[in-house]
Amino acid sequence: MMSKLIFGRYIPGDSLIHRMDPRAKLLLSFYFIGIIFIANNWQTYALLFAFTLAAITLSGVKWSFFINGVKPLIWLILFTVILQILFSASGGKVYWHWGIITISQLGLVNGVYIFCRFVLIIFMSTLLTLTTPPLELSDAIEYILMPLKAVHFPVYEVALMLSIALRFVPTLMDETEKIMNAQRARGVDFGEGNLFQQMRAIVPLLIPLFVSSFNRAEDLATAMEARGYQGGEGRSKFRILKWHARDAWVTLGFAVLTAALVFLRA
Amino acid sequence: MTQSKIRPWIINALVAAMYVVLCLGPAAFSLASGAIQFRVSEGLNHLAVFNRKYIWGIVGGVVLFDAFGPGASLLNVLFGGGQSLLALLILTWIAPKLKTVWQRMVLNIFLFTISMFMIAIMITLMSSGVAFWPTYLTTALSELIIMTITAPIMYALDRVMHFSDRIG
Repeated sequence: MMSKLIFGRYIPGDSLIHRMDPRAKLLLSFYFIGIIFIANNWQTYALLFAFTLAAITLSGVKWSFFINGVKPLIWLILFTVILQILFSASGGKVYWHWGIITISQLGLVNGVYIFCRFVLIIFMSTLLTLTTPPLELSDAIEYILMPLKAVHFPVYEVALMLSIALRFVPTLMDETEKIMNAQRARGVDFGEGNLFQQMRAIVPLLIPLFVSSFNRAEDLATAMEARGYQGGEGRSKFRILKWHARDAWVTLGFAVLTAALVFLRA
Repeated sequence: MTQSKIRPWIINALVAAMYVVLCLGPAAFSLASGAIQFRVSEGLNHLAVFNRKYIWGIVGGVVLFDAFGPGASLLNVLFGGGQSLLALLILTWIAPKLKTVWQRMVLNIFLFTISMFMIAIMITLMSSGVAFWPTYLTTALSELIIMTITAPIMYALDRVMHFSDRIG
């Protein structure tokens, strides 16, 4: 059951997007989320969609991965869209009105735009994670957080923690599945009954999971101490990040996109 | 980092990994989906009640799940991580003034429920701001329910695990 879930899934490839520096990908993904808010008419949203679709096509990753990325959030998106449609300030033609609830042309249009924003953000975030190995992203986060060292933020330690956590997610997933199967064999029904009953079923899962995780942590810490691990300061890197011309070109592409959005904006 | 300081970071790494696994696990049996979410992993927020060093692991878990989990988005990372960090920092500031673990847990539940305004802001940012209150009420309610249910579980787990001693 759990093996079907996607977490930190990286699809290997040799596309331009795959070969980009993870720092550029991470920063440009954040930048993209920022410029989505410039869009306010169908032309600007169409441009953003065209740009995103071009990036996805360029990556060579199957469309199904992106559709699957939206699915877990579809109810949250629809819930937000419906609230927007029902409680939005009326504008244009009013189709239905009752108390504080109004369905208007403006509300419907805004609902569509909100749906587009959610989808664009999820698509671009999914593109980032599908084309970048999690450990490279962890390196990029470490690099981006580096200025915080000036205020004594433990950059190396946080990067180490994220890398180890990413490494152990599949291990703990397998462990959880084993524990769940063992509990099922004893008659526990996961996902049956009301919320309290479901929670009760999870308790026998939590105890062995906690014990196992803490034991693993202690074993790993002891092994690292025994090998004289002294932290990140002064350590050389196995994965060295390098900024290439292609990263600069893609950054330029984002600048052009921003200019076009400002030009097309209503 | 001196050798004695490695252990808490490794434990926090495993806490972060556990957070992700608990997010993904219950989603498999439909506990953490839909507009109102019940993430069992939110119970791990109570770890900070026992020792504030767990903050790193909890926030790390939130960031990792929001960045790499199903339906991941970078906006989630900023607002989800920010919400947890805000609530936990206020907790560590006020908690030493409270005598019992239960009082701290109640404070923790209160802080996480109130701080869901950040998640509501994130959602309303994407929807021109009109849906703030219904969104805030539903997200805060889900947080209140799951953190209340998980509080006695974490309390009982602490009797077995001695969370504070483990992280040192």
